[in-house]
Amino acid sequence: MSSSSVAQKRLFHEYRNLSINPPEGIFAGPATEDDMFNWEALIQGPEGTPFEGGVFAAELKFPKDYPLNPPTMKFVGGGVWHPNGDDPNHYEHASERWSPIQSVEKILISVMSMLAEPNDESPANIEAAKMWRDRRNDYERRVRDEVRRGLGL
Amino acid sequence: MDSDDDFMTDASSQEDFLGTQGSDDESLGDDFADDLDGGFPYDKDIEKTAKRPYEVEFKILSPADIEMEQTQQMNEVSSILGLPPESVAILLRFARWNREKLIESYMDHPAETLEEAGLGHNFEGTPRTEVVPGFMCEICCDDGGSLQTYAMLCGHRFCVECFERYLAQKIREEGEAARIQCPQDNCHRIVDSKSLGLLVTSDLTSRYQTLLTRTYVDDKENLKWCPAPNCEYAVDCAVKPRDFNKIVPTVQCACKLSFCFGCTMNDHQPPPCSLVKMWLKKCEDDSETANWISANTKECPKCHSTIEKNGGCNHMTCRKCKHEFCWMCMGLWSEHGTSWYNCNRYEERSGSDARDAQARSRQSLERYLHYYNRYANHEQSAKLDKDLYLKTEKKMTSLQSQSGLSWIEVQFLHTASQALQQCRQTLKWTYAFAFYLSRNNLTEIFEDNQKDLELAVESLSEMFEKPVSDLAKLKVDILDKTSYCNKRRVILLSDTADNLKNGVWSFNVDL
Repeated sequence: MSSSSVAQKRLFHEYRNLSINPPEGIFAGPATEDDMFNWEALIQGPEGTPFEGGVFAAELKFPKDYPLNPPTMKFVGGGVWHPNGDDPNHYEHASERWSPIQSVEKILISVMSMLAEPNDESPANIEAAKMWRDRRNDYERRVRDEVRRGLGL
Repeated sequence: MDSDDDFMTDASSQEDFLGTQGSDDESLGDDFADDLDGGFPYDKDIEKTAKRPYEVEFKILSPADIEMEQTQQMNEVSSILGLPPESVAILLRFARWNREKLIESYMDHPAETLEEAGLGHNFEGTPRTEVVPGFMCEICCDDGGSLQTYAMLCGHRFCVECFERYLAQKIREEGEAARIQCPQDNCHRIVDSKSLGLLVTSDLTSRYQTLLTRTYVDDKENLKWCPAPNCEYAVDCAVKPRDFNKIVPTVQCACKLSFCFGCTMNDHQPPPCSLVKMWLKKCEDDSETANWISANTKECPKCHSTIEKNGGCNHMTCRKCKHEFCWMCMGLWSEHGTSWYNCNRYEERSGSDARDAQARSRQSLERYLHYYNRYANHEQSAKLDKDLYLKTEKKMTSLQSQSGLSWIEVQFLHTASQALQQCRQTLKWTYAFAFYLSRNNLTEIFEDNQKDLELAVESLSEMFEKPVSDLAKLKVDILDKTSYCNKRRVILLSDTADNLKNGVWSFNVDL
């Protein structure tokens, strides 16, 4: 089996699992059924956080040797104002160590929990990190505004 | 190359400085005492020649030797701890081959040590590849009935194909070997060599071995790779970094390269590594620029900015501090009165003070240039001698045909050329060394030695350049001069090394 057919098979399997048994607040799947290497995902803002009520769209690109190497993930549209967001449009999945056993589902769940609890040890967006640390109210207001704008309100 | 062995082994013969280092703070028991810092388990490469003060004891290791050393230590520790060798390998690498600390830590807290090293506590059973009914590989999601699978002792099972692909990725793409973890998320179990052997092809196994050997040499303080390009040997030398200010540990690899074990630069005796580093840094910054500055500029007597006068009158106004002075006498311009353009105030007090200060700073620059020029000259001459060396072979051949001497009888040219290069290398570094020496009686002895060697080298160099027709007649002279040069070099190096070891040199910088 070549590595890209392993990736294809594995991605198909993950896609099936995610459709049959989707985790709460997460929808994900290939953008078109012909190309298993480009996915789209929707993540709901976690409840009890300023992101609540928002829906965030992201693109996932898988390397040909997935799952040996992780996919890259990027928020589309308005992006997210968040300490671990690179610029507001990019979002690096900051996993500790990639293992071939990790999955799309695990990535998305960890992104969701990162929205709720930023990892301020390694901020990618310094401005957002400073705001989150020093002016939490302003930070939350800004996030809420962006969520509302994202929904067209 | 055989005939020069006598002279080449000068550099590689042995001196034992270890006597003073036996009192190592961490020695644990007699059993292990001889293993501290890589005691040599076999001594086929130890050369037993006369020891000189500037020589250190070392041993050359081939990749096979290095592998053998590792295996031997694994087996020994394995029998002490009662664990399988492949697991001990992981433990040893985790402990960076400090076996005493490892054994101690294992005896005190076996479970924690194993866990931290990535071994877990389960040593039961021998994993092998097998078909497990109803199994689905979590990496590729294959669940074929005849799927070969493998799990290490941690029990995380994957199909053999995925496992191999995972290992190949780690070894080939990421250059990892010693710390490859189980593919399972959050499992810190390290892949052992036995599992690896079962799963991957032989070319990967050899790459894996190479990487492991590299980590081994990097981990051990007493091992260093020979810096020569494409040389695969490592050198084992027990001189500790804390002694690098007292000893210049020059070693010679099997590839003939003489290098410093401390900084892996080419042989730089007599100055110790720290001075060499300072000197090279200084030369990088200064040299030619300093030369030009010295020749073409003066300093403002007030703020010491460097000024180049590129025309105009002698009335200088410093751009930086606005100090006004006379370019000729360096004195205050205000004291010049109206006798502009004609400086006749040479004896004025302010002028002579300014000139003194300037002289001092110029002097230090000139002192540096004195040493630098000689250093650079020997470097340059060594390069020329190297070209000459390449022509030596031709010379030897033509000398054979012209004088009827045999091959063996013309070897003296080769020996002479080797001596020239080695002595020039030493001379070059004596000037860097001298630059940092404070003057005292010892420096006079040193300078005498330096002068003797330099004179001898120059006269040998001159003989060496004579036309081929004269060389046969000069043979005895060249032989004499060669051995004289070598002797002078030994004397100079012995003297400097002794004083360095005894800490009696006084330097004008901190080491």
